[in-house]
Amino acid sequence: MKTTVVPFGPQHPVLPEPIVLDLILEDEKVLDAIPTIGYIHRGLEMMVERVEYTEMGFVVERICGICSFMHGMGYCVSLESIMNVEVPERAAWLRLIWAEISRIQSHLLWLGLGADAFGFENLFMHCWRMREQILDIFEKTTGGRIIHSVNRIGGVKRDMSDTELAAILVELQELGEQFKKTANVFGTDPSIAHRLGGVGVLSKEDAIAVDCVGPMARASGLVTDTRLIGANYYDKIELEPVVETAGDCLARVVVRMREIDQSIDIIRQAIDKMPKGEGMPLENKPRGNPLGEVFTRLEQPRGEVLYYVKANGTKNLERFRARTPTFANIPAMIKLVKGCDLADVPNIILTIDPCISCTER
Amino acid sequence: MANPLTLPMIPRALRNLVSKPATRRYPYEIRPRFEGARGTIEFDVETCNYCMLCMRRCPAAAITVSRENSTWAIEHLTCIGCNVCVEVCAKKSLSMSKDSKPVHTRAEVGPQGQRPGHEEWHKPAAVPVE
Repeated sequence: MKTTVVPFGPQHPVLPEPIVLDLILEDEKVLDAIPTIGYIHRGLEMMVERVEYTEMGFVVERICGICSFMHGMGYCVSLESIMNVEVPERAAWLRLIWAEISRIQSHLLWLGLGADAFGFENLFMHCWRMREQILDIFEKTTGGRIIHSVNRIGGVKRDMSDTELAAILVELQELGEQFKKTANVFGTDPSIAHRLGGVGVLSKEDAIAVDCVGPMARASGLVTDTRLIGANYYDKIELEPVVETAGDCLARVVVRMREIDQSIDIIRQAIDKMPKGEGMPLENKPRGNPLGEVFTRLEQPRGEVLYYVKANGTKNLERFRARTPTFANIPAMIKLVKGCDLADVPNIILTIDPCISCTER
Repeated sequence: MANPLTLPMIPRALRNLVSKPATRRYPYEIRPRFEGARGTIEFDVETCNYCMLCMRRCPAAAITVSRENSTWAIEHLTCIGCNVCVEVCAKKSLSMSKDSKPVHTRAEVGPQGQRPGHEEWHKPAAVPVE
């Protein structure tokens, strides 16, 4: 039968980011999909050769607007392990709290985008209204809504008072209660179940074969969560990875919804366990220039991110590399798109939570 | 699953009829920014000793300081609002105001405190004489 090629992107209503898929169709069935990336390559990794390592943190934060805190944190953690800087305890706990808040923010944003993509604009607005509260928390505590700039090599720059932390926890728990109503719609609405259930099923074997990461892998029953390695004080937190076994688009939505509750619980545990008091040390300044190389792994909202930093004893790093979760999930996305209907392509692409800015850096 | 025949959306729909909108009437009602939000860099000409530390540490190279002419200038379009210059300033001449100004101005402050506004910034570039 004659095949048709339909270009998906770089500009497309469901996805504001420029990913290109050439969909090869036979009738309505997708036979193959050929991805092209590189539309927003900015050369941020190359910038380490002319930007000093102390200033590079601000550049790394700007890789992506949604996980900007985790990118800055990952860079600082890498440099700290090269330069043997011990982060003060309270600073490490604050980083953990901000990281989990940014996870809630990212998941709410994605749930809204997903709802918009399958034609549920009301849900989109409810999710983004809740996300707005999270952005307000960020603005109160870090000074910025999207770009936080609180991470420095050796610690953090801002503190939250204990009363402020308690207020944030109350606000988050209220938000969790509110979110339950929205989650109920995602879970019980028949049109959502019809649109997402059984679409784009990724089996556990396939998830292992194409090296999925993050919520995508956990929705297929794969227990993988970089927080379980216990770095960055996650070993002091009781953490049960959220795992679903269905592997379809609906399972990926459910994993992210349950992770919002989990993150609120992690923040509660962190506030309980962190050292209390005013005026505690927040930063140990590094001395000299870094020398050595290191790999750092973090669990970003979208999955595992990996940083490689090589320093040569000068003010400029020799090499910086970030392997972001979307890059790892693109092979799985291509695998899912093959054989599905054309109308399901936007949903499948969105449920991997693509961040093309991260992927192309 | 809620039975759609029992019309579970009716209470919500009635509540929405009388409740106020979730959004703010933006141009008429502007939410003040939170305490500690990072807006615009402010400069106090009286205390500055022109040590040029802010210029050296600025990741975006937005600040220009001249010790000879005793001038301090910031390119607000280039400034990324990272707060580094405020942290390094030994004389506490720099501060971060929580309100963001329109960024299309170039603030330049000299010993006399002159501050050309954006008219100057938008002046058409001089045509080179051949």
